[in-house]
Amino acid sequence: MAIGVLLKQVPDTTAKIGVSEGRVDETAVSKWSMSPYDEYALESALRLKEAGGEDVVAITCGPTRAAKMLTDAAAVGVDSLLHVLVDDLSALDSTQVQSILAAALGRADCDVVFCGKQAADTNAGSTGPGVALLLGASCVSHVSEVSPDGGGYLALRASTGGDERVQVSAPCIFAFDKGDEELRRPNVRGIMMAKKKAIETISPSDLGVSLDNSRVTVVSHTPPPEKPPGQKFEGAESVATVVGKLRDEANVI
Amino acid sequence: MAYEALDFYDIDALLTEEERMVRDMVRDWVDKEVIPNIEEACREGVFPDKWRVDLGEMGILGAPLKGYGCPGLSYIAYGLICQELERGDSGVRSFASVQGSLAMYPIWDFGSEEQKNHYLPGMATGELIGCFGLTEPDYGSNPGDMITRAEDKGDHYLLNGAKMWITNGTTADLAVVWAKLDGVIRGFIVEKDDPGFSAPEMTGKHSLKASVTSELVFQDCQIPKDRILPGVKGLKGPFSCLNNARYGISWGAVGAAQSCFDSAKEYALSRIQFGHPIASFQLIQNKLSWMLREITKAQLLAYHLGNKKDDGTWIPEQISLAKMNNVDIALEIARMSRDIHGANGILDEYPVMRHMANLESVKTYEGTHDIHNLILGRHITGIQSFTREP
Repeated sequence: MAIGVLLKQVPDTTAKIGVSEGRVDETAVSKWSMSPYDEYALESALRLKEAGGEDVVAITCGPTRAAKMLTDAAAVGVDSLLHVLVDDLSALDSTQVQSILAAALGRADCDVVFCGKQAADTNAGSTGPGVALLLGASCVSHVSEVSPDGGGYLALRASTGGDERVQVSAPCIFAFDKGDEELRRPNVRGIMMAKKKAIETISPSDLGVSLDNSRVTVVSHTPPPEKPPGQKFEGAESVATVVGKLRDEANVI
Repeated sequence: MAYEALDFYDIDALLTEEERMVRDMVRDWVDKEVIPNIEEACREGVFPDKWRVDLGEMGILGAPLKGYGCPGLSYIAYGLICQELERGDSGVRSFASVQGSLAMYPIWDFGSEEQKNHYLPGMATGELIGCFGLTEPDYGSNPGDMITRAEDKGDHYLLNGAKMWITNGTTADLAVVWAKLDGVIRGFIVEKDDPGFSAPEMTGKHSLKASVTSELVFQDCQIPKDRILPGVKGLKGPFSCLNNARYGISWGAVGAAQSCFDSAKEYALSRIQFGHPIASFQLIQNKLSWMLREITKAQLLAYHLGNKKDDGTWIPEQISLAKMNNVDIALEIARMSRDIHGANGILDEYPVMRHMANLESVKTYEGTHDIHNLILGRHITGIQSFTREP
């Protein structure tokens, strides 16, 4: 058995996103990074391993460039790397990606799985619950911390009434919110080891997953409307105008 | 916006994946730990101890050295580390240069097996800090005439003299000190608690304010016989160390220049005068274009020299050229960037004035700009012009 971590490579949250002909122009993305919630999931998985858990397997589904993210994960201590090569991830719908990931987790023999609550690009939030459904596993979402608890696990999650502690046993999936522990920094030793770590690259068909046509079609992407420029007022005579705008336009008073 | 380094000729594509990963690790660290805290460190005149711990944990101290717990990275990777550290501050790069190239390197190259095993693993993790004592109050560019002496007293050596301008001196656990034994320059390892050794901090600097600079004083300082570096005699010892440190500086200066360029570009695009961003004016564009041109040339010098360091085909004069040129253009870029920032350029809200003041030191230490010209002059003509002696 192993601890599985599902990782997705997304445009860095600080990268400029351009839309060309109704689609996000991926070739113009200056920097690709691990999705931020996945980083919290990865850190928690590494901590679980250090607390006496099994080896950690990082799994991603994506194009060739996503391999770099797996190597980065190896540099912070992931034991093995599985890359399901899919050239155009945007051509698949969520359920197709979930069936690929569920099959990959089965192949890697994972009974406890960590992932982000949503990816920073699509923000769909369906991976954790969807994979759990396919695997018949429990799913705890919006988790910020996981610790071993007897034969099972104790997960901390925020709820409207305060913090919830949820006890689950394997098989289970934890979908991570922002946690207290940021992903550790790599070091030179980790980087040297990562360089030697092989990435197992396979196709969806190797996993026995046949991909029919996606049932979801993205019609178009549009950039968010440009923010209107700020307004500047000077002098005491503007007070009434500013108060009016704060009340009627900004709705803050 | 995340920092995007100026890389006009796509040097990134020439790096190995390992080199890029090391560079990105240090780049992230500088963004998270150095840049938000550097102004406070400068105001207080301290090198935060957390930085020492972090540099040790990242495993980048003594980067190109192999074995004895050292990282064993390429010289290109070492250069990239220096570049990123100095993008934060020359003081941070100085700390790493002194630890790796000036303190660890001589022990690694000229030390006994026992010395290497005893000191290097702790120095690689940052648990032991080293410094390097060559320059004296009256002997800077001319270290060969140093006054510091060692005497063989049978069961120990006795050191007398003083060193000055020693980075990390006061905080160091050990110093690699160059002194004359029977008229021949030799290297000695002095530990902080050795009797007769003190390292008072120098104060009042307008430059490298986040770096510790000290004197080393030896007054009948007794050290055990096994602390002499057995593997080298003469100026070759300290000069070998300086070659490595100067090589690192040639990359570090690029980092400082990139930071100044970045700040100037952002400022010029957002600063409105006469109804338009100043970036739209020809004089500003001319300055930015000159910066890009000189940074690109400096990057190519540093990168090519790095390859020569890695394949062992370099000569010291090539290092002199790169150190001299890259620090020179970095300082000029810092001044020009300060100019573009107008009055705002003197504030610590922007990094440029700090880089400018730092680079004045960097231009002078590790062989002054002019001394490197004389090294090249000797190389070209075959005639040394350092001294009036034949």
